[in-house]
Amino acid sequence: MKKVLTGLQEASGLVEDGALVTFGGATFSRVPMEFVRELVRQGKKDLNLVDREPAMDFDLLIGAGCVAKVRAGMVAFEVFGMAPNFRKKSESGELVTKEGACQPIIAGFRAAAMGLPSLPVKGMLGSDLLTISEVIGSQKEIQDPFTGETMIAVRAIEPDVAIIHAQKADEFGNIRIEGPFYEDVIKAKAAKKVVVTVEELISNTEIRKMPQATTIPHFIVDAVVETPKGAYPCSCFNYYDVDYDHIKQYLKAAAKDQFEHYLDKFVYGREIE
Amino acid sequence: MNDKIDTPDMMIYAMASEIENFDTVLHGVSSPLPILAMSVARKTHAPDMAYISGSEGVDPELDRIYPSSFDARLNRNAVAYFGLHEAFDLAQRGELNVMFLGAAQVDLYGNTNLSVIGDVNRPKVQLPGGAASAFLMPITPKVVIWVTRQSSRVFVEEVDFVTGQGYNHRTDELKKNEIVIISNLGIMNFKNPDRLMQIQYYHPGHSVDEIQENTGFDILVAPDVSEYPVPRPDIIKLINQIDPDGIRRSEFR
Repeated sequence: MKKVLTGLQEASGLVEDGALVTFGGATFSRVPMEFVRELVRQGKKDLNLVDREPAMDFDLLIGAGCVAKVRAGMVAFEVFGMAPNFRKKSESGELVTKEGACQPIIAGFRAAAMGLPSLPVKGMLGSDLLTISEVIGSQKEIQDPFTGETMIAVRAIEPDVAIIHAQKADEFGNIRIEGPFYEDVIKAKAAKKVVVTVEELISNTEIRKMPQATTIPHFIVDAVVETPKGAYPCSCFNYYDVDYDHIKQYLKAAAKDQFEHYLDKFVYGREIE
Repeated sequence: MNDKIDTPDMMIYAMASEIENFDTVLHGVSSPLPILAMSVARKTHAPDMAYISGSEGVDPELDRIYPSSFDARLNRNAVAYFGLHEAFDLAQRGELNVMFLGAAQVDLYGNTNLSVIGDVNRPKVQLPGGAASAFLMPITPKVVIWVTRQSSRVFVEEVDFVTGQGYNHRTDELKKNEIVIISNLGIMNFKNPDRLMQIQYYHPGHSVDEIQENTGFDILVAPDVSEYPVPRPDIIKLINQIDPDGIRRSEFR
């Protein structure tokens, strides 16, 4: 085991311009928001983002001009409505949006995690989403060689970097996630590089007392960054809940053409508790 | 009186009634109405259903809902975590009995659109995306589509983009499952030989005429069309208990 503990700025160096990137969590739960803000501060360009149901992480990066392409099952702010920057830049043509569906995106991650070029799924047949995917080359109709059943082969999705926010880790990169996992463990196994921001560092001795709690072991982790409140304003189970007021404030800023002001204050100005 | 029943409560009651005891049901993202419907079903006629939350909790003791349908507090006292990829595995096995899905447009054949209005490469309106719709619609035994604002712009003859597959975009073997559409005005299904949308129920205080006026095509009327029953007061009370802040109304504004 080697120590992979590093700083936010150093870890963000693992994300190159144009990289295929995915983030842990889902909508407003355990999303690595502080790392996302660091990507904005570092002025990353042309990122290619993929996830099943992202929200503010994608929208913030899109609004800050860091993103060229998005592939997702849904990009929205749940009951608060549309993701404002995602919508605006998809409609203006500044952003290439290739909608997927949750299952093929998850299956793509699973294929990569299993070291397979593709994985078959059911469903999808008859949807225009399948037609688009066949044009892009991410999904294709196939016949099962044994039963002849028609299925959809989904091409593996191997992100250049997966960034995950977890509750605990040791300095070697043994990761403990508490509460729902979402696809974080799968994403970590699928990606070429894995960065994990954590609420709290714990000792290797502590890790060894409960190995079953380590869902991502050190040999697939490239960087660990101690980042308390690293998911804020999203939630981190057992640590803090979603700050819905902050999310409303973000949407208000975007709606009133004050998004630059939001970036100045909360991203560049780091005015986050 | 009938007209005193809140539209969201009426829809939640109707959605809950689509769940049978022992069904396995999953809810997705942006889903206050499905969460409330699943909670009502479990506390009334379907106590033995398996409830899988979008944030992975199995049979949680839900005390209230939150603006995010993935809020981890929705998993309180769950018996297990069951990941979305596992729930999707279950769906592929045909063992996810009921799924609730949304729609920005729905058409005569049951197709739904949650993707785009206009050209997909340069959309006039970028919609949020269909999430699990294209995967689950053809393979889930019962799909319930909820629409909070029925109008002729939402109920169209043909959707701009087929996100979720209606019966005219399916092979014969995938036509067997059931699509039910629950709107603010009534309940539509496709229980006829041609698998075309028909009015099955109108909600109390509404009518067949009103549904027809708010549909962008000549909608069929089931021979046994009738008024949907009014939810019992204890059901309304239960909904208010779980959603004291009225989060369920956010989709109706």
